[in-house]
Amino acid sequence: MGAVWTIVTKDLQQRLRDKSVLIFSIAVPLALMTVLNLVIPTSADDVELEPVTMAASIDADDELADVVVSSLAGLSVFQVTVADSEDPRASVDAGDADLGLIIPPGLTEDLRSGTEHSVQMVIGDGAGLSANILIAVTDGLLSEMRSRSVSAAAAIEAGLAPDVAAQLAQEEVDAAGAITAEEGEASDQQLTAGGALIAGQAGLFLMFTVGFGVLSMVAERESGTLARLRSMPIRPGSIVLAKALGAFVLGVLATAVLLTAGSLMFGVAFGNVGAVGVLVLCAVAAATSLTFIVVRLARTAEQANIVQTILALVLGMSGGAFFPIAASGALGAVLDVNPIAAFTRGLGITAGGGGLSDLTAPVLTLLAFAAICLLVSRAIPDRGETR
Amino acid sequence: MVADRVSDEPGTATSSPAAPTPSEQDVLVVTDVERRFGDLKAVDGVSLSIRPGETFGLLGPNGAGKTTTITMIAGLLAPDRGTIEVAGERMHPSAVAVKRHIGLVPQDLALYPDLKGRENLRYFARLQGLRGADLKHRVDEVLEVVGLADRAKDPVKEYSGGMKRRLNIAVGLLHRPSLLILDEPTVGVDPQSRNAILESVEALAGEGMAVLYTTHYMEEAERLCDRIAIIDTGRIQAAGTRSELIRLLGSSDQVRLSGTGDLRAASSAVAQVRGVERADVTDSEVLVTAADAPAALAAIVTAASTHLELADVEITRPDLEQVFLHLTGKALRD
Repeated sequence: MGAVWTIVTKDLQQRLRDKSVLIFSIAVPLALMTVLNLVIPTSADDVELEPVTMAASIDADDELADVVVSSLAGLSVFQVTVADSEDPRASVDAGDADLGLIIPPGLTEDLRSGTEHSVQMVIGDGAGLSANILIAVTDGLLSEMRSRSVSAAAAIEAGLAPDVAAQLAQEEVDAAGAITAEEGEASDQQLTAGGALIAGQAGLFLMFTVGFGVLSMVAERESGTLARLRSMPIRPGSIVLAKALGAFVLGVLATAVLLTAGSLMFGVAFGNVGAVGVLVLCAVAAATSLTFIVVRLARTAEQANIVQTILALVLGMSGGAFFPIAASGALGAVLDVNPIAAFTRGLGITAGGGGLSDLTAPVLTLLAFAAICLLVSRAIPDRGETR
Repeated sequence: MVADRVSDEPGTATSSPAAPTPSEQDVLVVTDVERRFGDLKAVDGVSLSIRPGETFGLLGPNGAGKTTTITMIAGLLAPDRGTIEVAGERMHPSAVAVKRHIGLVPQDLALYPDLKGRENLRYFARLQGLRGADLKHRVDEVLEVVGLADRAKDPVKEYSGGMKRRLNIAVGLLHRPSLLILDEPTVGVDPQSRNAILESVEALAGEGMAVLYTTHYMEEAERLCDRIAIIDTGRIQAAGTRSELIRLLGSSDQVRLSGTGDLRAASSAVAQVRGVERADVTDSEVLVTAADAPAALAAIVTAASTHLELADVEITRPDLEQVFLHLTGKALRD
């Protein structure tokens, strides 16, 4: 191992001296994160919810229909203006309203009896996010009302006195009210936009960082120093191992710095440090293993640079380094094995409070990617073989 | 001893004259080595041996097979056939211990330009297994040998071409190898640096180091090498000392006499001079062949002057260039 450490130490010394790692692995990605953070909204605070005008047609004597409209008008997230309309659809078509609500007469009775009752909502062409939110809220309200009314109807059906059934329904309402809904995070949740940006950029530039190991190997082959190393009393595998180890160390350091700096700069927390550390190690292993293929394919440092850049950009973009990518079927399966996507998913899990035990899928994806790359690299003839 | 010429007959290459009788003392013994690249037979039945303190030259044009031969000797490439032994141990790309016996100075400048001269040497010395005081001592020593002690703290990228070449050689000397392999070490250097490099090689051989020196500069081979193998198209065409190789030409020195007068009479007179083998008349001059032209020159000029008013006298002595031309039918630098 003495020869391996000697080579690794020299390589790291060279990289630090020529500042290439500091520039391309840390300064550039941090600058890019800052620019993208300015260009792309990365937090919910940046989303403006427009006021909504809703044209409503309800029966004035229908108690629950009135409750629905009053509840919607009382939303505090954004302003909702309710306008009575005989034909909400026409109001929406005319552009007088963003949203139309049509509640046919008999909502209260139908809910109490458990009978199906159709409520229509008409959304205008220019309606924004607020109108869609309003539809979702309406749907939720009606579901809750139906649930309570069915409970009461069931009680009466079971022979309970109407006043007892009413009491039960009221208890259910009270119980529902006792449940406090707090903002929580699931262990498999997606990262926030800011977190996804940091994770994606860290993953993308990890590909470039470990590429320095490849370039070093190919540059040594070009300059003749590789031949000199191979003429020395060191095991043939030591040189490749040293280059991989050097790339690995650089990759881990650069990714750790990017995640730390990114989270401090943009206020993103990635969660359990140990779990994130394991994830970083696996991601760097996957990225480093890809470089073995590049070494085999490239004859010159220029070729290696081009191949590495293409791979980094393809994996980075398809892995969501710049914007989220979603696909289903075979393409979705391909995207799932993308190491940058797996890395980002893993950080989503840790950011949501997940620990090591929750990282099985992304970790296995990354390690499988690494293993496959190593196997493929063994099967590819070395185009730069010394003659 | 007369240099041997390798037979063109298949199967006779194993008795190559470059390794007449390998002995246990030989640092390097190459036996019937062959290497192909696809359809191209880059090295074809090469055999040679080198003794301690001997400088052995591989002389041939670009593409003759010199670099492929030393690449195999240095353990970078496995031969398709034949064996290579260094200090009695079999050389192979996967071998480790045997590589301690060789110091390779590749044709490329195998250095790290961003590192200082001393840093380059320390790095390679560590890979050769040197540590501590021994490492420091050897680094200082080789810097003195190649005359770079005063520039050791400068980055290599600030060195001149000649200085880089000298540092390139220094790396090969760090671990006191039994066999130093120099692949065209003077390519692209100024005359002063070239002379310094040649002097270093002479000094190392004088200390008992075996040197394998490839070059396509005839004058370097003539100056440095105790024995020379002329290699072309992957085969050793002939091998021996310089004088042995020149004897292969079967010709002696030549003196060209030009002037006005009776050329035929002058030719006849010169032919009588002791040491002159023959004298021929061409269109405008007398061409004299002699075993040792400088020794017989005064007598030749005297004899010719009786019939000619001499305008020019030119002596041509055969050299390795002519030997190469004679053996291969082409010039060394083709």
